[in-house]
Amino acid sequence: MNPDNISVIKVRDLLMVTMPPDPDDPTISALQEKVLNSMEKYEAKGVVLDISAVETLDSFFARTVSETAQMVTLMGGRTIISGMQPAVAVAATEIGLTLGNVETALNVDRALDMVNKPKPGTSHD
Amino acid sequence: MKKSTKQSSAKAREQADASQLGSSEGMLQMLVEQLKEYAIILLDKDGRVLTWNAAAERLKGWKAQEIIGQHFSRFYPPEDNEKGKTEMELKQALEKGRFEDEGWRMRKDGTRFWANVIITTLRDEQGNLRGFGKITRDLSDRRQAEDKIKRQAQEILEMATVPVVQVWEGIVLVPIIGTLDSQRTQQLMERLLQRVTETSSPVALLDITGVPAVDSQTAQHLIETVSAVRLLGADVIITGIRPPIAQTLVHLGIDLNNVTTRSSLTAGLRMALSMVDKNVVVKA
Repeated sequence: MNPDNISVIKVRDLLMVTMPPDPDDPTISALQEKVLNSMEKYEAKGVVLDISAVETLDSFFARTVSETAQMVTLMGGRTIISGMQPAVAVAATEIGLTLGNVETALNVDRALDMVNKPKPGTSHD
Repeated sequence: MKKSTKQSSAKAREQADASQLGSSEGMLQMLVEQLKEYAIILLDKDGRVLTWNAAAERLKGWKAQEIIGQHFSRFYPPEDNEKGKTEMELKQALEKGRFEDEGWRMRKDGTRFWANVIITTLRDEQGNLRGFGKITRDLSDRRQAEDKIKRQAQEILEMATVPVVQVWEGIVLVPIIGTLDSQRTQQLMERLLQRVTETSSPVALLDITGVPAVDSQTAQHLIETVSAVRLLGADVIITGIRPPIAQTLVHLGIDLNNVTTRSSLTAGLRMALSMVDKNVVVKA
């Protein structure tokens, strides 16, 4: 698969990233590269990674996403994964995959709502 | 005088017995011919039809002249005939004196009915094989009723296993009743994730008031469900943690720190509402 298939679009101060249905390892590695480069280039506040098309989630994908989120945090941004399919979530849970502490949202709309709110846990209450 | 009376009464009784016997044989014949529910037929030693009654015609569709002399495998669906079912049935009837079966049988027009069949071996006083008696009863109605009950029971079971109810915009509720085993957890997870996505609800309430006891396996199942829902981007509040359950969880050393829990559904719902930015306001 051509790693150019991932699109990273800057929307206002956010990066919108979409994944193809069946990403292979080079595509997943390219994702990290592209996201981090765009973070630097646009000084974005956060990244919304939409995986609503993704049908298979393997451990490499899960680890890369989780690591990328940590890297984005180091660069001062926030990562939200949106739109995971129920079947993917069931399969991931069965084999014990987690995305670490990455925030998740039901869809892109909700992800955008979340970005404008303080991160849970960091709010002063 | 006395003697003759006795003799004549004995004679009369004999006559009466004889006429009763004659009429009861006739009545038996009538019964066979007029019975509506039971197709009663005779087969010869090789399984060819010898007699036919009204019920047989009504049930199977052939008229007597069409079917007499034909082999009774005509009543069986092709897949049974391929397996040699009729030979097997006659063989069993010969060995044990009778054979009973429930299964699909064919009508003349090719449609099927669910039948109870009894084949009885008929032997004369010397033990020579004369043929077979075959009684067939149409159980299609009973079979349909049974199927319906089975289907309804299955539906109720599925519903009761994991009902997922939307209680508010953005909030779904799953009241779990009974023990949570792996199979139910699987169903619960699938249904819950499906509904959360469909209704795009960011909060799911998992009420375990109806769960009699929580052991480490049940807790593990709950934790799995919570992490699956979280992958979707929704959160779970577990409600209905009664004192004994709270005690068990702590004593078993189960870590639910990452999961939001509340004692009552009320408290859980209040929290869920605040998570979807809604508040309960008491009217002044």
